[in-house]
Amino acid sequence: MSVLRPQDQLPGLNAATILLVGTDDALLQQLADAMLKEDCASTLKVHLAQSLPLPSNVNRPRIDLIVFVVNLHSKYSLQNVEESLHHVDATFFLGKVGFLATGAGQDNHCSIHRNTVLRLAHTYRSPLFFCDLEVEGFRATMAQRLVRMLQICAGHVPGVSALNLLSLMRSSENPFLEDV
Amino acid sequence: MEKPSEEQAAAEPADSVGEGGPSSVAGGQAARPKDHMTLLLRLRAQTKQQLLEYKSMVDANEEKTPEEIIPEKQIETKIEDLENEIEEVKVAFEMKNLALDSVLMDNMKHVLKLNKLIMKSQQESWDLEKTLLDVRKKRFELKQASESKLLEIQTEKNKQKDDLDNMENSDKIKALQGNLQMEIQITTVIQHVFQNLILGSKVNWAEDSAFKETVLQLEKNLTMI
Repeated sequence: MSVLRPQDQLPGLNAATILLVGTDDALLQQLADAMLKEDCASTLKVHLAQSLPLPSNVNRPRIDLIVFVVNLHSKYSLQNVEESLHHVDATFFLGKVGFLATGAGQDNHCSIHRNTVLRLAHTYRSPLFFCDLEVEGFRATMAQRLVRMLQICAGHVPGVSALNLLSLMRSSENPFLEDV
Repeated sequence: MEKPSEEQAAAEPADSVGEGGPSSVAGGQAARPKDHMTLLLRLRAQTKQQLLEYKSMVDANEEKTPEEIIPEKQIETKIEDLENEIEEVKVAFEMKNLALDSVLMDNMKHVLKLNKLIMKSQQESWDLEKTLLDVRKKRFELKQASESKLLEIQTEKNKQKDDLDNMENSDKIKALQGNLQMEIQITTVIQHVFQNLILGSKVNWAEDSAFKETVLQLEKNLTMI
């Protein structure tokens, strides 16, 4: 499949799958390990990919949440993410996509401005997280957040849907985005 | 161009972590069926939620999307309108829930308090960013001002140097210098004439002090003045 669609397959029983897309393999692997360490009632599956499209010959469970990891130190990672975004179906962006910007802690290495990722997340109406994945503590917190988000997107939390979560998360960031 | 992508599924450790919870509790036989019950109830809740999501997706897909190409600005406003609609429906729903369940009032109050706190800290951070931007702007202006001042100083210095050079090269000066030279030569000639007159007359000029002074003065080299 060249385009990822959210309801291509039926959901697995008690299983939630997250797809992390980013150029920094080591960081993705660390984040994946941190997520798997988290306490979660459903079985977690973490898929890592450098870029989309994913090879279609692999048998893959339904993907519940995609997180695009952008490293603020390298313009290549932003380019990579932008190109991969074309291979995701529009219905995915109803709460099942998130952006994660890492490396904001070292301002002198940042070659991408904060506003670029902010605008990117605003265009796709998806939540944007800032997290320095190199720091152990932040990574663990981020992993926790992602696990909760994944549970909701997989439909394992009764009463909250992905779209619901999206509009919940949106209201706290938009008022000041207009002036940026 | 197809980019090669690597994919690793961390399925095995995930499985053990996920199911480690329920099965590690198995201390006695009585615990097992209870865990199964919990698992089944949880699965039931999950399946219900997922069914709800699929149903809503089917309902949403029944609406026809407009086929004509709408400019981006209009799309943005449309999206925002729809978002506002969703917000209003959610608020109405919450109000209805509140009316039915008064225990939620405490939670709502807590939520409102937190929201206020969030908005306050966001406003603070926005103000700080603004002051930072102002300071940066001021610094840039000062830099520009100092740059222009230094440029001014440099041009002034260059102008002074040019003026000096011009003065030295001007024709008037040259003419004056020529005249000066001629006068000096004439005076030197007169000096030598007087000197030779006095020496030729074989007068003893060393005796009279006034005479001596005059003769010595004639010896003065005028080009050194």
